[in-house]
Amino acid sequence: MLNFEEELKKFKPSLEIEDAEDIIYNQDLDDMSDVLVRLLKDAGQGTDNQRRTK
Amino acid sequence: MKCNRCGTELNKGDICPGCGANVRTYRRLVSLSNVYYNDGLERAGVRDLTGATEALKQSLKLDKNNIDARNLLGLIYYETGEVVAALSEWVISKNLKAEDNVADYYMDTVRNSPSKLDDINQTIKKFNIALNYCHQDSLDLAVIQLKKVLSLNSGFIKAHLLLCLLYLKGGNWDRAKIEAQKSLKLDTGNVLAKKYLKEADSMLLPGESGKLVSDIAAADSDDVIRYNSGNEMIIQPVKKSAITRTGSIWGIVLGIVLGLAAACFLILPQRIVSINSSNQQKITQISEESDAKSAKINEYEQQIATLQTQIDTLQTQVTDYEGVDSTSAAMNSLMKAVSIYLANPSDVEGMAKALSKVDLDAIGDDVSPEFKSLYDSLMSLVGPQLATSYYNTGYEAYKSDDYETAIANLSKAYQYNSGDVNTLYYLANSYYANGDIDKAKESYDLVVNNFPNTQSAQAAQTKLAEINNSGN
Repeated sequence: MLNFEEELKKFKPSLEIEDAEDIIYNQDLDDMSDVLVRLLKDAGQGTDNQRRTK
Repeated sequence: MKCNRCGTELNKGDICPGCGANVRTYRRLVSLSNVYYNDGLERAGVRDLTGATEALKQSLKLDKNNIDARNLLGLIYYETGEVVAALSEWVISKNLKAEDNVADYYMDTVRNSPSKLDDINQTIKKFNIALNYCHQDSLDLAVIQLKKVLSLNSGFIKAHLLLCLLYLKGGNWDRAKIEAQKSLKLDTGNVLAKKYLKEADSMLLPGESGKLVSDIAAADSDDVIRYNSGNEMIIQPVKKSAITRTGSIWGIVLGIVLGLAAACFLILPQRIVSINSSNQQKITQISEESDAKSAKINEYEQQIATLQTQIDTLQTQVTDYEGVDSTSAAMNSLMKAVSIYLANPSDVEGMAKALSKVDLDAIGDDVSPEFKSLYDSLMSLVGPQLATSYYNTGYEAYKSDDYETAIANLSKAYQYNSGDVNTLYYLANSYYANGDIDKAKESYDLVVNNFPNTQSAQAAQTKLAEINNSGN
């Protein structure tokens, strides 16, 4: 037997045309390569900090 | 392929020629992204839109610059009714690759139909209102709103699913099943739709999981025999003879025959009676018009007869008046002649001129005795003189072969003095010479009878003999 309330929570309001601009601007466009670049950058910074501490 | 860091076009090596970065991992990510794109494309081809969406999202997570994957994701969003999400993907796609991008075509298609765009927006708003009704526990209103949404956009899967959920909540299992099936038809991989379909199926009658309650009611016909054997329901088709199978054809033929018979015996006579009645009315109308025209013609004929009578009467009156006129003219002429005689008895020419208009033959008996008496008195006084005057003129004309003038003057001379044989003889000669043989014979007879024993009588006798001998 389905739980109506739980099922209803799965339905989210549809995006209206007036909201399109906000959605486009706020969309997270980062892909895996961006994440990797950021990780490498963070890793490089961490190494520099350790060297300075030493 | 371009370097993800500096944008330089990469060669086959793992090192970027522009910035010297190692692009091996990046290449691997792009490759994986394409694998997911291909998977998404395949799923979209079999309308597994949910699976395609997941695969394309993975593809874009691995490589945000995978334009084909982004455009296809937008197309799938559009197909499922999520138009704003679709437009967002296409706008981003256009920003990432401005030239030679199919997203242009998709966006233009949507933009160039403002009414459709407005419909889409209305659909989305109504869906959100329906969802709000659900949260407020106004489920009936939500159902009505969702039906409106689906009438505007039947491909809006989320609306189908929400309506399905509402039907499940309301116990309308068959309707819920229909909505779930519609959702699955639009998106074969929709997990929620499968879940709801399973729920609806489980709530339908035992043994009828594949059919709706309404289907069962419809299927409860004479074509099958149902009975329970233990816990199982046996459905056995009824055997039908060939005659029974062909019964429908005979039924159609019988129906046609009965239809034709009904047309011949019920509709046709009525139609004939109607046409006859119409014709009878027309005949009556024409007859009435004919009678009216006949009456008019009779009336006109009577008018013509009356007018003819009037014309005859008037004609008679005119004739009478003409006689009166001639009599009156004769009287005036006689008066004038008498007046001339009284003034100058020797003016024979004036009296002759005045009396020339008095024609006793034309007047006839219309004149009074006094007129005749006066005329005779005048004639006894001036008759011989007038006769002499006319005789002289007539004789001159006779000698000069002018027989017309001779006849006119000698006739007058004979009228005024009938006792002169020469006047009558020359008059007869003039008639004869002028070709009027009858008048000539008449005049010769008068000469022979009235003046016998005269030379003129002998000559007239000779002339008569000539005329008789000539055959006239």
